[in-house]
Amino acid sequence: MANFSNNDDLFDSIIMADNRFHNEAYQEGFEEGIRQGTIEGKNHGRLHGAKLSAEVSFYYGFAFAWKCLLQDSSDIKARKRLKAVKSLVEMIQNYPFEDPQYEKLQEDMTAVRAKFRQVCSLLNVSTDFREYLKGSTEMSF
Amino acid sequence: MSWVKSVAFSEDVFDEDVDDISLLNKEWKCNMEKRSKRVKATQSRNDCHVVFCQDGFRDGTDAGKAAALEVGFNMGYREGATKMRTFGQLKGIMSAVRCWCHSQLPGSPALASVTDLLQKLQKHEEGLVEAMRKTQEKPPPSVTEMMDDMEDLNVEQRDYNGDSSSCTKDGDCLGNAGGIACCGMVEDSSRIVSLKSSSLADSFEQLLKCCLDLVTELGLPEELKCHIQQIIDK
Repeated sequence: MANFSNNDDLFDSIIMADNRFHNEAYQEGFEEGIRQGTIEGKNHGRLHGAKLSAEVSFYYGFAFAWKCLLQDSSDIKARKRLKAVKSLVEMIQNYPFEDPQYEKLQEDMTAVRAKFRQVCSLLNVSTDFREYLKGSTEMSF
Repeated sequence: MSWVKSVAFSEDVFDEDVDDISLLNKEWKCNMEKRSKRVKATQSRNDCHVVFCQDGFRDGTDAGKAAALEVGFNMGYREGATKMRTFGQLKGIMSAVRCWCHSQLPGSPALASVTDLLQKLQKHEEGLVEAMRKTQEKPPPSVTEMMDDMEDLNVEQRDYNGDSSSCTKDGDCLGNAGGIACCGMVEDSSRIVSLKSSSLADSFEQLLKCCLDLVTELGLPEELKCHIQQIIDK
């Protein structure tokens, strides 16, 4: 009887070996996967964060500078421009664009873009800023 | 995704006459063929467990990756966003200054220098984004992919068998050797990127200084100068 149970254990360990090796390797693989996934995700996220942040910050810098430039003028046109520029500054200040988990990330971005276009048309400048960055000093607004 | 392969070898996937069981059988057969191929590759019955390790390691890697991708994305997103914040702001400020110069001081040499500065900023930004894109395009080679590639190339896994004696003791299988190899590569590539960005950072300081000088020269409002100064101090 004792023999029999010994044999049983022996077979058990053989049969379970597959499982055991699989599980041990799975754990190791899982850790390795976490490491790789983090790196891949990070590389991907970095690019997305950089793109969005560059755009929003550009709008912010643009609006902020105009706010400073327009602050002291008193004519009606400048007042109107200042109001639009100020609201864009506020809008971006309240926009947590650096948080990837912010639910309305896309929604607010659309609103910010629309506001920026409005500001540009009030200021009589083109929204396409790439144009003059390409190297031509002769440019049209 | 062994089932994809197994299906690819068989006839029409959408054939409604084929029942699920035969599909399952095919998958099983394909898996077993793969496994027996690997067993043959290891050439020794003692190394059979290596095959189980491989399967487990593969499954584990896939699961771990899936679990970590989003966390990694969020971490990277914040990092990238912080990196570009000051940069985008400066570009925006200078663009506004340029528009202002254009309307207030037409034909002034200041316009040319602002445009020149903006072009430099643009170039700098492109360099930063390019560095990030390069890192993204060269993700660390995954062990799973490497093993699949090796299988496809019919590379014999004899090299590994050299250390498989150490494998058997602590259960460290060949996947780990590959894992360590990719760690080294990843670290190397990130070091290159950080080196690059440190040289870019130097010139960014210079660009900031130029912006501040220009704004002072043009006699623009104090508040704007303070804002640029704040960016520099950060």
